[in-house]
Amino acid sequence: MVSRRGFLAGGAAAAASGAVGIAAGAAGASLAAEADLETFAASRQAEFYGPHQSGIELDIQAVTNMVAFDIKESVTKADMLRWMRLLTDDIARLTAGEPVLADPAPELAIGAARFTAYVGFGPSLFSKLGLESQMPEGFAELPAFGVDQLQERYSGGDVLIHIAADDPVVLAHGTRGLVRDSMPFASVRWVQPGFAHSPGMIPAGLTHRNLMGQVDGTANPELGSSDFDSVVWINDGPQWIKGGTLLVFRRIAMQLDTWDQLGIPSKEEVIGRKLSNGAPLTGEQETDVPDLGARHPNGLLVIPEFAHIRRAAPQESGERIFRRPFSYDNGMNERGSMDVGLLWTAYQRDISKQYLPIQRRLEQLDLLNQWTVPIGSAVFAVPGGVQGSELLAEALFS
Amino acid sequence: MRKISLLFLLIPLLVTGCTSPGGVVAEDLWVKSSEMSMQGGMTAVYGTLTNNTQQDVVLVGGDTEIAGVVEVHEMTMIGGEMKMQEIDGGLTIPAGMSIVLEPGGNHLMLMMLTDDLEAGEEISVTFDFDGAEDITVDGIVAKPAEGGDEDYHSGEMEMDN
Ligand code: HEM
Ligand SMILES: [Cu+2]
Repeated sequence: MVSRRGFLAGGAAAAASGAVGIAAGAAGASLAAEADLETFAASRQAEFYGPHQSGIELDIQAVTNMVAFDIKESVTKADMLRWMRLLTDDIARLTAGEPVLADPAPELAIGAARFTAYVGFGPSLFSKLGLESQMPEGFAELPAFGVDQLQERYSGGDVLIHIAADDPVVLAHGTRGLVRDSMPFASVRWVQPGFAHSPGMIPAGLTHRNLMGQVDGTANPELGSSDFDSVVWINDGPQWIKGGTLLVFRRIAMQLDTWDQLGIPSKEEVIGRKLSNGAPLTGEQETDVPDLGARHPNGLLVIPEFAHIRRAAPQESGERIFRRPFSYDNGMNERGSMDVGLLWTAYQRDISKQYLPIQRRLEQLDLLNQWTVPIGSAVFAVPGGVQGSELLAEALFS
Repeated sequence: MRKISLLFLLIPLLVTGCTSPGGVVAEDLWVKSSEMSMQGGMTAVYGTLTNNTQQDVVLVGGDTEIAGVVEVHEMTMIGGEMKMQEIDGGLTIPAGMSIVLEPGGNHLMLMMLTDDLEAGEEISVTFDFDGAEDITVDGIVAKPAEGGDEDYHSGEMEMDN
């Protein structure tokens, strides 16, 4: 965010020196501004040290790898701490745009590109290590839902490293470093790559679009707000989870062939929002509050009974989540049907009180279910951030 | 102004745990953890050493609890193959210059390990110099790493790493 402002200021400075009319100076400045413009994504840097791990309360990056691991049989708490020592140092360096220690390809550290990575732990890790007493409140495997068609290869895992950046090469290089340092302790269970818009595609604060075309993320708590804090960041319970959060991950396939057969009005009724700008069907702008009581002259609800946002809207005050979904594109079959969807993520303090009641309502009725199928699922408890020489999850494994 | 620049100078020293600003400064040190770094086996320490003195300094050896023998090694072509060997007379760091210890190049060889060295463990190593004070660095982390064409022939001094 800081660098984006810096970039804007640079542009303004170039414009100003142009206005003064010193020809050479103006040309030099605009050349510099152009060079800045070409490489602005490289220099933008996320914050690693702080009360929370990075890559959650952040405008979504361009590309991601979610990597889930199963620990080796002999692994102990002490081994976990050694793993966390390696990851803490690696992530700090990669976030700063530097190679990790012992990097066999340091030349690939070409810019921070808002690299982030955070670590989370699945319920299975707590039982394998006998750490059940350290499980946060409202954290457990999800029950089965009627809409589920889950596949093992996309589900579960003892440990998650969720990596993201604004550049695919930076992402691949960082992923390689983190996975290399994980191999003494665990094996890879699954990796799920995803993406959002490239940097420079949409202004800050504008909500991204998913592959169904919808503006997706409007009703989220605002980054940096106290609302965000109270929905997402845990402030009690075991020491290690303070400043952390609970993640529900769902791989949700989109059936675009049948979705594309719908006309625009039907597509808009499925969600309850307009495709053009994400405004509720009862408003003009994305930020307008949906009027769930509004009716057409013929008496029908403007935002229908089956609309996704009606069903997903909180019924009790605490039933809110922060969603940060990346898209995935896993190729296509011989008939040209694309294997696409969302790496759907929801962050919250308490899964049982926040995600679960919403999902139960959507399971019963949500017209969107006709074009979306959950095919992967996992939950992870994400420890708080680190300061100074602390290690990630140090209090859990010490 | 002056205070600020002093602070910046101090930060790298604090981070690497090395406190000899007038002498040699060590940065980004790590030690290799591999299937060879088991008790009785061997490994090596890598990183950057900077000579902040006015005269040349020679790295002549070292000392660490986890190794029975510590030597300064180089890689050279012997009979068409890259082999490593002890550097006669040690490794010179010219005044004001840095040298990099890296896989496939110069390194501080740790042999006859007294214990298994596992990934993520930390060790303490003393670097012995001629021409500057020795330095001891704590918290050197063991990184999982596989050297390129590893070819160990224990005892014959042909151990690549
Ligand atoms: C592929 C699957 C999904 C798609 C394409 C999708 C799409 C959308 C869209 C376009 C919106 C409206 C804009 C916004 O507020 O972000 C929305 C809102 C929302 N969705 Fe989803 N969604 C999906 C799955 C889910 C799931 C599984 C849940 C929770 C179990 C969920 C919970 C919500 C919530 C809580 C809102 C905000 C409702 C409000 O206005 O208060 N969504 N979703
Ligand atoms: Cu050697």
